[in-house]
Amino acid sequence: MTNLTMVEAINLALAHELAADPNLLVMGEDVGVNGGVFRATVDLRKTFGPRRVVDTPLAETMIVGAAIGMATQGLHPVAEIQFMGFIYPAMEQLICHASRLRNRTRGRLSCPLVIRAPFGGGIHAPEHHSESTEALLAHIPGLRVVIPSSPLRAYRLLLAAIRDPDPVVFLEPKRIYRAVSQPVADDGEALPLDTCFTLREGDDLTLISWGAMIQETLKAADSLKQQGVGCEVIDVATVSPLDRQTLIASVSKTGRALIIHEAPGHCGVGAEIAATLQEHCLLDLKAPIRRVTGFDTIMPYLRQEMLYMPSVERILGVAAEVLDFGR
Amino acid sequence: MKYFKLPDLGEGLPEAEIVNWHVAVGDQVEVDQLLVEVETAKAIVEVPSPCAGTIVALFGAKGDVIHTGEPLVEFDHQESGDSGTVVGKLAQAPGASEDHFIIGAAPSSRQAHHARATPAVRALAARLQVDLDQLSPGPAGLITAAEVEKAAHLEQQHGAAESLKGVRRAMANAMAASHSQVVPVTLHEDADIHDWAPGTDITIRLVQAIACACRKNPAVNAWFDGTSMSRRLRQVVDLGIAVDTAEGLFVPVLRNVASRDEADLRAGLDRLRQDVVKRTIPPAEMQGATITLSNFGTIAGRYANPIVVPPQVAIVGAGVVREEVVARAQQIAIRRILPLSVTFDHRAVTGGEAARFLKTLIMALTKA
Repeated sequence: MTNLTMVEAINLALAHELAADPNLLVMGEDVGVNGGVFRATVDLRKTFGPRRVVDTPLAETMIVGAAIGMATQGLHPVAEIQFMGFIYPAMEQLICHASRLRNRTRGRLSCPLVIRAPFGGGIHAPEHHSESTEALLAHIPGLRVVIPSSPLRAYRLLLAAIRDPDPVVFLEPKRIYRAVSQPVADDGEALPLDTCFTLREGDDLTLISWGAMIQETLKAADSLKQQGVGCEVIDVATVSPLDRQTLIASVSKTGRALIIHEAPGHCGVGAEIAATLQEHCLLDLKAPIRRVTGFDTIMPYLRQEMLYMPSVERILGVAAEVLDFGR
Repeated sequence: MKYFKLPDLGEGLPEAEIVNWHVAVGDQVEVDQLLVEVETAKAIVEVPSPCAGTIVALFGAKGDVIHTGEPLVEFDHQESGDSGTVVGKLAQAPGASEDHFIIGAAPSSRQAHHARATPAVRALAARLQVDLDQLSPGPAGLITAAEVEKAAHLEQQHGAAESLKGVRRAMANAMAASHSQVVPVTLHEDADIHDWAPGTDITIRLVQAIACACRKNPAVNAWFDGTSMSRRLRQVVDLGIAVDTAEGLFVPVLRNVASRDEADLRAGLDRLRQDVVKRTIPPAEMQGATITLSNFGTIAGRYANPIVVPPQVAIVGAGVVREEVVARAQQIAIRRILPLSVTFDHRAVTGGEAARFLKTLIMALTKA
């Protein structure tokens, strides 16, 4: 088995499905000749040709609109939005068409479409290149929002997203595109969508996160373990629809929950998770459900962005308050 | 970096003339190695290499004028030199790591059980210093404020309750499980052991008699699973022996009692008892019994209703041996009597099977 980074695993999953599914095509800005600004589609055009790996103009509305048309008529487009910050012109297409085609046509048309977009900060990029606005997408009924947090889960979840008959927005945490290398077998096996993944098992505190923040969350869990605190670490993975059962089961066991995400806290996915846990776990809770998130501000430029990002120290600080509550 | 473009040399001048190349195509250069000397309007400036790599092309010869921002040098574009991004900087993996995860919830989450209470009741318990895990939940599975107050009152009046640990806790769990599952029926009968040779080892005779009775009544030496409604008749008789200690009840297993002689059984039993007393008995030595003997007669008591512990289906209790006036061959006689109690799980064993087992047991014990 080869060790791959997340971006290499994504490239592998795309190549696997391009080879397996003749109706699949990859499209987006710079995905072909250039191989993608993060190299996610490198060499795919060379292998599968310009009709399967299509360079598009800089026009996100057109990219998503064309992909929706293709998807309804039998093709399986995997469209790349170069940065999540560029997706907003395409929101109309996602909200008014992709997410509701199945409903609008009473099941006659489905929209087997994947929109890939790198997201999140911490790489010292300019404006529009660092935000995490997954909550905007998670608020759209009919749209799946999937966020991998490791090379293996990126490979297997992207396969699942491509094979799903409905539209999936696949957000790639670019800060960890190359930060972690793990064994990934090109076996074509998909993981289930709409399920959380439990990365660490523990009895005292449930740490809930997704995407690049899983790195800080795992470090916090390791640090707490040395203090004798058993953390259950849950990678939400599909932020919409939420796998409520897994989250409820874990927090019912530990009685304590801390949600960590990079996006601003206000109306973030963490707020939805906290509300769900409050509704189902009230009788098991030993402390208030807390969140460690980005601040309610525009993502700062590179000089201050690390002040914005939840750090291991911030997670540990709030975890201590949760663990000490009522003692 | 693939192309190194002539940088602004710090004087705001738009162009420079190449004076002298210090490298040639094919050269391997290091960071900060001198590439070229250029002359601006004011001075001769040395331009160092911004990166390491092999030079593929030089743009311009001696005497040529290059504008700021125009390519100066082309480096060999290695994949390793590719930062993998057009903006910012991506962290690189320090080395390979493993990825372990569970799809969905951890098994421990699905099985978790602990005290459930509203936040107000938790706050009350914290204020009154009552441990919620020590309280039993009400009918709705919920600990109420009244229960917390009752517990606080009890503790104030009578001190803190002792929380069961280890063997005692295990016994409580095993007995509760048995009580909730097994359908027990107990038979009582006496065995006349008057004709035994003096000094006969009562426990070993009981062990041997149970082995003999099990062989003739295999339904009693079995494991029963009430969930799948299935039973396993066990060929070998592995006898659990109840051992009383200050810490609680231990039931070590004397293996394959049917094929061992008296001396071997006694040695095995003594070793088990020693291991229990010294607390060195491994957990494996206390698992897998097919039937159990509770010889409470070494202390006191005549008859009992011993508790069958699943998956076993029967248990034999032996009381204190006594001398009793009995009717025997139309005569009044004083005989040594061993009182027996056999409990069986009526889900797995019929009354007839159990009674025949007791009959065989008594016949084996009555022999001289």
